[in-house]
Amino acid sequence: MRRWAQRTHLAALLALAVAACARGEHVPVGGGIAVTDDVGRRVTLAAPARRIVSLLPSFTEILFAIGAGDRLVGRTTWCDYPPEALAVPSVGDGMPPSVEAVAARRPDLVVLYRSGPNVTAAEQLERLGIRTVLFDLNLLEQLGPAARRLGALTGHSRAADSLARVVDSLASLPPVPSTQSLAFLVWDNPPIVIGAGSYLDRLAALAGARNVFHDVGSPSAQVSIETIAARDPDFVAVLSDSASPEPPRYASRPEWRVVRAVRERRFVFLPGQLFGRPGPRAAEAIRDLRRRLEAAP
Amino acid sequence: MDRELIVTVSDLTCRYASAPRDALQAVSLQVRAGEFHALLGPNGSGKTTLLRAALGLVRPVQGRAEILGRPASDWSRRDLARVVGVVPQREENLFPQRVHETVLLGRYPHLSLFGGVRAADRAAVERALVACDAVDLADRWLWTLSGGEYQRVRLARALAQEPQLLVLDEPTASLDLRHEMELFELVRALVDGPGLAALMITHHVNLAARFADRALILAEGRAVARGAPADVLTRETVERVFSWPVTIEPFEGRPQMIPLRQRKDAL
Amino acid sequence: MRYVLLAAAVVATLAAALLLGPANVPFGDLLASPIVWQLRLPRALLAFLVGGALGVSGVGLQALVRNPLADPFLLGLSGGAGLGAVVAIAFHLPGPWALPLAAFVGAVGAMALVYRLGLMGGAELDPRILLLGGVAVGAFAAAITTALVSLAEAAELRNAFLWLWGGFSGASWTTVLVMLVYAPLPLVVLVAAARPLDLLALGEEPAQYLGADVRRLKRLVYLSASLLTAAAVAVAGVIGFVGLIVPHVCRLLWGRLHHTLFPTAFLTGGVLLAAADTLARTVVAPRELPVGIVTALVGVPLFAFLLRRWTVS
Repeated sequence: MRRWAQRTHLAALLALAVAACARGEHVPVGGGIAVTDDVGRRVTLAAPARRIVSLLPSFTEILFAIGAGDRLVGRTTWCDYPPEALAVPSVGDGMPPSVEAVAARRPDLVVLYRSGPNVTAAEQLERLGIRTVLFDLNLLEQLGPAARRLGALTGHSRAADSLARVVDSLASLPPVPSTQSLAFLVWDNPPIVIGAGSYLDRLAALAGARNVFHDVGSPSAQVSIETIAARDPDFVAVLSDSASPEPPRYASRPEWRVVRAVRERRFVFLPGQLFGRPGPRAAEAIRDLRRRLEAAP
Repeated sequence: MDRELIVTVSDLTCRYASAPRDALQAVSLQVRAGEFHALLGPNGSGKTTLLRAALGLVRPVQGRAEILGRPASDWSRRDLARVVGVVPQREENLFPQRVHETVLLGRYPHLSLFGGVRAADRAAVERALVACDAVDLADRWLWTLSGGEYQRVRLARALAQEPQLLVLDEPTASLDLRHEMELFELVRALVDGPGLAALMITHHVNLAARFADRALILAEGRAVARGAPADVLTRETVERVFSWPVTIEPFEGRPQMIPLRQRKDAL
Repeated sequence: MRYVLLAAAVVATLAAALLLGPANVPFGDLLASPIVWQLRLPRALLAFLVGGALGVSGVGLQALVRNPLADPFLLGLSGGAGLGAVVAIAFHLPGPWALPLAAFVGAVGAMALVYRLGLMGGAELDPRILLLGGVAVGAFAAAITTALVSLAEAAELRNAFLWLWGGFSGASWTTVLVMLVYAPLPLVVLVAAARPLDLLALGEEPAQYLGADVRRLKRLVYLSASLLTAAAVAVAGVIGFVGLIVPHVCRLLWGRLHHTLFPTAFLTGGVLLAAADTLARTVVAPRELPVGIVTALVGVPLFAFLLRRWTVS
């Protein structure tokens, strides 16, 4: 009787393990959780995380979206969506993360975006015995895997999977035939534009706008005003969080007015929180962009 | 008739900032045209300081320094460079240059701010090179010259300034016998011929005694003796100033100092 | 003869700067194109003026510190300018001129500080004190800059550093005018100091005996060269190597007397930087390289070549 029970138990575990492997998670013997983060580390938890600090607004949004918002004990000052997030104590702006402030919240899991300073901060937290997990989040395609793994870590896999499915299908959509062109300008002196291989470029494609610098391989590049003028985008898109944004200061300078979109004041102002980094509201961002382009004169 | 007074230093006292004692104390000196003055003394006795103070580079604590009757501090450097030509102890040579280029630098005090080099300037350079027997060196690079040739060129540069007074600070320090004699002969000839005044700091007491008209001996900033070499270079004075036993022998009417060997048990 | 050659080089470089660029402007439309008039022409002129200013400044400073390895930015000016730029960004100073003005003020501040250090204890702008003081002030400014960078928002500051690496993307007729109005005074002062600077090469005491008012000369040369460099940094960021290499190239080619060296250094520096900017704009089009990188990439092999010739001769 016992041997049969054991064998069934083992078979069930094996089946579960095989199924789980397909999604990049592992169910180790004993029933704990393990995910592999984007630095290649295998992060294991005995039970779903109960006290989470999120150091990126997008992760905060995902956690709330999958129903794990009540587990958050720390956020950055930038995390302002959803409104419930504001009730979570802030641990600073996260640039770089204040290890002490994070540790003071006594978390059992800290979620960070993968960057140089964050890797260092994660190492310091690990030395204090705090589990950390680092995810890439530059492209739309990275949103689904990040959500799934957050779901596993918090025990909200089902909600996370459905969110991931939505986002993945969005990411696999073909670009919409473009009717308008734009250039994303993040700095004016020297002029820095956004190229392919970036979230903004992808959003533009899905919103039916052609990024005139789509041929530039890297996510950001320095160009000259002349190049922008030569490529003649219909709009210049600028990230701005102001409620009633005005054309940027450089727009009135004679050398910038050689660019038609600047001369005709055809700016599109995109809120940084929505457009800065991939997040669960990606579809809303695309709709928002399309609306702004159609509404512009 | 007195020859023209070029440099007058009266009761000059100088002290460098944060120095424990005076570099010069109540020193007086008069150099006239057609006179060869030697400035002697051990290291650190204030010879170079006297030079600097006489030419207005160092401000005295007390006393006066005058050039051609005007206080040294009243002279602009440019005007002074037309009266006094100095061959300093050391100079730097950052970039390679030719002899005629460096001698031409001596004409700068005569050039106007934006004016060019005139025929008169080139003629002065030529004359200076002739006087120093350096004409055949004119196109050579400075770094190819021997020590003696280099000193002649520097002297030519000072002469190109067409000065009334020639000042030399230890010009024969690293020269061999022949070049040293040649330099002293050259200075003597310039004093005798064109009637320049010359003031030379040197360690070569014996050559100074033979070539100079007057000598001033300094020790620890004070003037110990002043006058004709025969009057100044006595055994007592030399032994006291240079702290070494000597004997004085006359040669061609001039005193020559011969240092004695010092045995451990003597003195 | 040499000025004919240089004039031809100037014309050729300016022509190339007007004709070449990422935008395809048909030859016939050149005179009417706003791209040429508002973008390429002021940019070429500004690059030329800044290159000339840096060349002349390099000549002056190399003579002043009697060191052929001196560069206008050795005396702490780049550190000061960087600090000014970062302050402007970190504190969100208003106005389109905030960045250049802050960089200028920072550079001038560094200049004043090094000047003060050079006069301490009765010293008279001793070259060694100037060089050491410049390194110290530059390091101090860099430390404050790093502190500010760590406290402020990363993305904007990264863009500030891109500006600091040097570039003419912000060129406009206004900046050209500013340089044209500002630069002549320090230039004239330096050119008037040509003969005394020839004398200074012999050393300070020999120079004084040959009629140079060394005290006044050093102050004027230091201030003029530094102000020229500060203006260059304000409009174009830190562009290295021009002030170091151009004096040597001109010395080797056209002679080391300063009444020749200043004009040739101005023209050569202008040609070099205008050409470097054209390269920076066209070589990786549509992208642009910071011009400071181009001058370093071209300047380092050139400098190595010159160094070899100099030591061999």
